[in-house]
Amino acid sequence: MRSTKPNFMKLNVKYQESYSRGELILRSILGLFYIMLPHMFILIFVQIWASIVTFIAWWSILFTGRYPESFFEFMVGLNRWSLRLNARIYNLSDGYPAFGINATDEYSSLEIEYPESLSRGHLLLKTFFGAFYCALPHVFVLYFRMIWGGILSFLAFWAVLFTGEYPKSWHEFNVGTLRWSTRLNLYLTFMTDDYPPFSGKE
Amino acid sequence: MTETNTSYHPVPQPDDIPTREREDAMGGYLMMFAAMAAGLPLPIINLIAALVYFYVNKAKSRFIKFHAYQSLISQIPTTMLNAGLVFWTLRLFFYQSNTFDDVFSIGSEYEIYWGYLIMTFVANLFYFIFSLIAAFRARKGQFYYFLFFGKMAYHYAYHINSNENRVVENKPPS
Repeated sequence: MRSTKPNFMKLNVKYQESYSRGELILRSILGLFYIMLPHMFILIFVQIWASIVTFIAWWSILFTGRYPESFFEFMVGLNRWSLRLNARIYNLSDGYPAFGINATDEYSSLEIEYPESLSRGHLLLKTFFGAFYCALPHVFVLYFRMIWGGILSFLAFWAVLFTGEYPKSWHEFNVGTLRWSTRLNLYLTFMTDDYPPFSGKE
Repeated sequence: MTETNTSYHPVPQPDDIPTREREDAMGGYLMMFAAMAAGLPLPIINLIAALVYFYVNKAKSRFIKFHAYQSLISQIPTTMLNAGLVFWTLRLFFYQSNTFDDVFSIGSEYEIYWGYLIMTFVANLFYFIFSLIAAFRARKGQFYYFLFFGKMAYHYAYHINSNENRVVENKPPS
């Protein structure tokens, strides 16, 4: 099998029927200190390790055509961690995100299929031209999408505060943005050969 | 599996080792690129990365333990040489000594420094070549024994500890 299937990644953030107003206020006022800072502090070191792992995986793909499986699992774990954290930062989920590569979460899930083989040519193409034909167009579109997502998040804050409900279509839109950026990230970190679609849909 | 020595665990043959284990064993040697990957040009980064890799992976299998340990201990001499070189180079740049008793700047052209630089370069080159060979062998499910470090790593990973199968019995206070 060359590469992965088109639907190789499944990312979801559970839509809650009701959101806690208390947690929303707490996150908005003190979230920087009790969620962001501790997670970001540890993630700095994990990211350094991830860059080492990615660098080594690059050579491994070049010579063997395979992403080392345990390295791949580590990177999936890191992406899950980022998703858990982002879901709270954007108020998409209640609760406190768990620390750790192997931790699980009640509200968010990310499954990425392990590719048995990856193309060496694709690897070189991504390395030398990925910034132009992938990162640039995607980041350009995502930039505007994120501005709109920020506006929706701001409005959703008031919606949750007064009604206890996050408007479902807004939730889907913001989860879609996370899905899109995760797909882009996976492509650019050599974890898949499938060009990310310009869409946040499953 | 082949029985090689009664005091050692049997050494696995390439066909017995799954691909995942081979890749993990290979990863140990590739930690020599860690500093480059992390963007921190300090020789100690490679050693720290190899140490972390060893502790994370040593429980997975003896094959991985052997290769990760061999990679770790074989890095120590070159790391020390490289650290010395970094220190010496920085000293030459930031501390120009005119005294004759300064061991770091003996001779008008710093001949000793150049000698040390070339020696360190050759040591790194050897280390790089042998580590790459070992990484390829590990990927094929084979053993590759470095001079001196190979036996140490084999002993560490495959030696049968007399306390290994000892059953601990809890007793009431006497």
